[in-house]
Amino acid sequence: MAKEIIIDSLGEACPVPLVKAQNAIKEMEIGDVLIVQIDHSCAMKNLPEWARKDGHNVEVEEVDDGEWEVIIEKAK
Amino acid sequence: MANEKKFFDRVKQNQFYKKWFKSAFTYVTGAVLLSVLQVATLASTGNPWGVSGVFANWGAWIYEAFGGSVDKWYYFSSEGAQNVLNAGIMNHPGSWRNIGIIFGALLATLLASQFKIKKIKNKKQVAAAILGGLLMGYGARIAYGCNIGALYSGISSLSLSGWVFLVGIFSGAVVGSKILVKFFM
Repeated sequence: MAKEIIIDSLGEACPVPLVKAQNAIKEMEIGDVLIVQIDHSCAMKNLPEWARKDGHNVEVEEVDDGEWEVIIEKAK
Repeated sequence: MANEKKFFDRVKQNQFYKKWFKSAFTYVTGAVLLSVLQVATLASTGNPWGVSGVFANWGAWIYEAFGGSVDKWYYFSSEGAQNVLNAGIMNHPGSWRNIGIIFGALLATLLASQFKIKKIKNKKQVAAAILGGLLMGYGARIAYGCNIGALYSGISSLSLSGWVFLVGIFSGAVVGSKILVKFFM
């Protein structure tokens, strides 16, 4: 059963969300989903960039004004 | 009311709105704009683009407003620095530019409907921000420039000092990131 992990990174500036996501994904199994909640727009760029380069499936959703969820499915 | 909502829904879908206001510019677009504007800055004000030096002047003006004097301070001791201070903030191009940056950033985030007042997460974050701000501000003044005045304007004026600054700021960033991850996360 795939797990879902949520990181609350609201109020945190780069590179904190990215580092937290990188640490979290190491502990996850393939197929698990990581949701990073962010409100720092530069994380909207560097998080998906890193995750795609690493070969995971990524989606970004704008949940509110200036608030996003980066959804990463661990693929390898 | 219903018509207004319809109008804004249409704007949100408009491809030019999405392209120019909603999505972030690419690095290349940003770099080209910065280059053009910094040439305009140099041509119109006679000085290369700088950001953090302005804050030192703001500090001096605030200090003077409370009756202090910076005439004897080494940093402001040159005739040029004194003339700038005496001319006042209204005649200081750098101040107008910095105010423009602040309001421009506000305008950009409002146009993209991404304005948000961010929460302070914990005390560590406050400590990191204050400590980092003090180090950057102090460092920028003893280096006579920040990543804009010393690095960007230095390198774009073909000055060797910009490249020396690059080595320094890069090593500083490596050390700073390690400290951030280790103590403030």
